[in-house]
Amino acid sequence: MIMKSKSLLRTVPLLFAAVASSDIRAQQSCQSVKAVQIIGLPAVKENAKGTLAVENRNLRFVHGKGISDISTSSIQDIVTGTDSQKAVGKTLGTISMAAPYGGGRFLSLFRKKIDTLTVEYRDADGAFHGVIFRTPSGKADAIKQELIAQGAHTTLTSEQAETAKPSTGSSPKEQAQ
Amino acid sequence: MRNGRRFTTLLAFCAFLFAGVVLYAGNSQPTGFKVGGIQVATIQSDPISVPAEFHVALYENLVRQLEKQGFEHVYRDGDRNSADVPNLVILHSTVRQFKPGSEKARQVTTVAGATSIRVHCQFTDRDGHTLLEQDVTGKVRFFGGNLRATYDFAKKASLIASKKFLATDGK
Repeated sequence: MIMKSKSLLRTVPLLFAAVASSDIRAQQSCQSVKAVQIIGLPAVKENAKGTLAVENRNLRFVHGKGISDISTSSIQDIVTGTDSQKAVGKTLGTISMAAPYGGGRFLSLFRKKIDTLTVEYRDADGAFHGVIFRTPSGKADAIKQELIAQGAHTTLTSEQAETAKPSTGSSPKEQAQ
Repeated sequence: MRNGRRFTTLLAFCAFLFAGVVLYAGNSQPTGFKVGGIQVATIQSDPISVPAEFHVALYENLVRQLEKQGFEHVYRDGDRNSADVPNLVILHSTVRQFKPGSEKARQVTTVAGATSIRVHCQFTDRDGHTLLEQDVTGKVRFFGGNLRATYDFAKKASLIASKKFLATDGK
């Protein structure tokens, strides 16, 4: 009986420490995700490739020529969406268009799923900005949740977004890109 | 008598033609004042449902294209620096029609899946007086992603703005 209570006493602080450390880690950073900045970040080229992470209350995009930060407190809205793009890459995809018997078109049928992350924020002067990122499938929602946890605002929660269907009648896929 | 009637008809026709030309030119002719800057208000789309990425792409492309066209000062919505700018032109954009299209359908069929967007652009002064209003469409028919329609729209809208508001600067 005494042994049991001793082990319990040992495990409770350990458990508490583990929970606390994971909480701190979650506040500091989350796993970085490969992303493409489609448009919006100042001084960053369109379709710039890089990594996206939430670090120290910032949405950080690290690309070839530098780092761009967006403070989570300045974020007004975050919207995620699903999309698809050609599985066969850019150059090969373009060359394949010349393939006989519609081979290029056939290749267009093979597509991979991607996520889009749209962020709206205001800078220090109060000016409105918007940024669109493309991330691998299933990654955008995790970043959104992380941003919300660190103080970003959003008008639509993921549950609301699922229920709100677009009035155009098309699926959310294929709407962007 | 006959000649007189013909002459009158001809005169009326000429006057009608002249009035038409003047009215048409008046819409695209530059304004009299020197524009201090242009401010782009956020894109409105009520009651049409437009995905968030289209909203952002429309806005960002519009800002970039206006800068490319030669506007020295392009202010974003809510920018405090625009408060004291004289002769500020404000561009209000409202999406009137949106057809999402499909990149996949375009790539596979070539003819189907076009994306199109029609936006009502209204240029006003600070007091809200309309300086110019026009519908502008953006389309992507064959190549490129759906968001390319927003680039097409922005290019056309910025060209209209530069013709109307920059021509007085001798550009």
